[in-house]
Amino acid sequence: MEEWDEVEVPDNVKEIFVEMKNTAELMVDLAYSAVLFREKEMANEVLELEEYLDLLNYNLMVRAVLSARNIRDAERITSILQMGRSIDDITNAAADLAKMVIEEKVHPLVTEVILESEETIGRVVVSPESILVGKSLEELDLPTNTGVWVVAIRRGKRWIFDPDEDVKILPGDIIIGRGTRTALDYLKEIARGIIKVMPNG
Amino acid sequence: MDEFEEIRNCLVEMKDLSALMIDLAFSSVMYNSEDIAEEVYLLEEKMDDLTVKVKRLALRAAKHEKDPETLLSIIDLADINERISDAAYGVSDIILRDIEPHPIIQEIMEDTEEELGRVKVHRGSVLHGKTLAQLKLPSKIGARILAIKRGSRYIYNPGKDDAIYEGDVLIAVGSDLDRLRKVAGEKVEEGED
Repeated sequence: MEEWDEVEVPDNVKEIFVEMKNTAELMVDLAYSAVLFREKEMANEVLELEEYLDLLNYNLMVRAVLSARNIRDAERITSILQMGRSIDDITNAAADLAKMVIEEKVHPLVTEVILESEETIGRVVVSPESILVGKSLEELDLPTNTGVWVVAIRRGKRWIFDPDEDVKILPGDIIIGRGTRTALDYLKEIARGIIKVMPNG
Repeated sequence: MDEFEEIRNCLVEMKDLSALMIDLAFSSVMYNSEDIAEEVYLLEEKMDDLTVKVKRLALRAAKHEKDPETLLSIIDLADINERISDAAYGVSDIILRDIEPHPIIQEIMEDTEEELGRVKVHRGSVLHGKTLAQLKLPSKIGARILAIKRGSRYIYNPGKDDAIYEGDVLIAVGSDLDRLRKVAGEKVEEGED
């Protein structure tokens, strides 16, 4: 991870909000993945993202405060500050979930809950014969074609968290994805090379 | 049903609902939808009830545990989901608060012609009994279904094999939701086109 003062923050309010939304959602997914697979490294990533979210929230507040020209403006602007704080609350909750992994305090029932929920988390191993190999996430568009959102990729000893659209899938990659059981099973068949075509691929 | 099974069912529901709530809360802001912000509010109340229920059950289960402290992570999970749902409500509250939001808040709201709202499926609707694959709503009437509410249950991100039935409430996004309201058998006030 880069140092936070070197991280670029979008400069319009809309983009900051979208970035906060995406970061919060990613943190919840990563936290549940970390709990399910007892992955401390992943849990630590959640804690780092928490700092990034604080930075985004700070930037949102600065822009909100700047736009107040009178008391009435300022009063209306308080709701944006409250919203920022609420997004921060979501990520604090995700961070606490991640801490359960770091502190090794997870009851087996917690794992069962994650596995049984409608949208669960799965680990998908990519075989060399799979049609996924060599294609970028943009080309594959897995959310549309399979119903699975890619949360992270394990490549050898390295993690790629929240991979960019231009990341290409390599043989041996382990994809951590969020989706229904059916969607995840379908992606597994594709990753094993059993299914050779994708709807739009 | 033993306590653990009951706790598990509650927690699964809580996890599903909190994920739905995050999604709906952010969507309600981006689409400036009071309708959906209100839905988040209703879900929040439901989550409060579930949280209390899990805590009670966990206490009861603790009586037969050799090491009751191991149950702490179960209570933590309920708490975390409750906090997420409170926070989701806090996000969508921005929509319910001001009649005329400040321009900086309007900036966040999607610059789009699309509308996000709830549509009830009435008796006799052509949607009844058909799967999303059969209906092809996105291409036919330009509406995407984010969730289906059936009784007190929600089907979140419904797939192509999920069917729609009378009495369902559809949470949908589209450029003209009135078209969906018409096929769902809802009375549409104006705009007979």
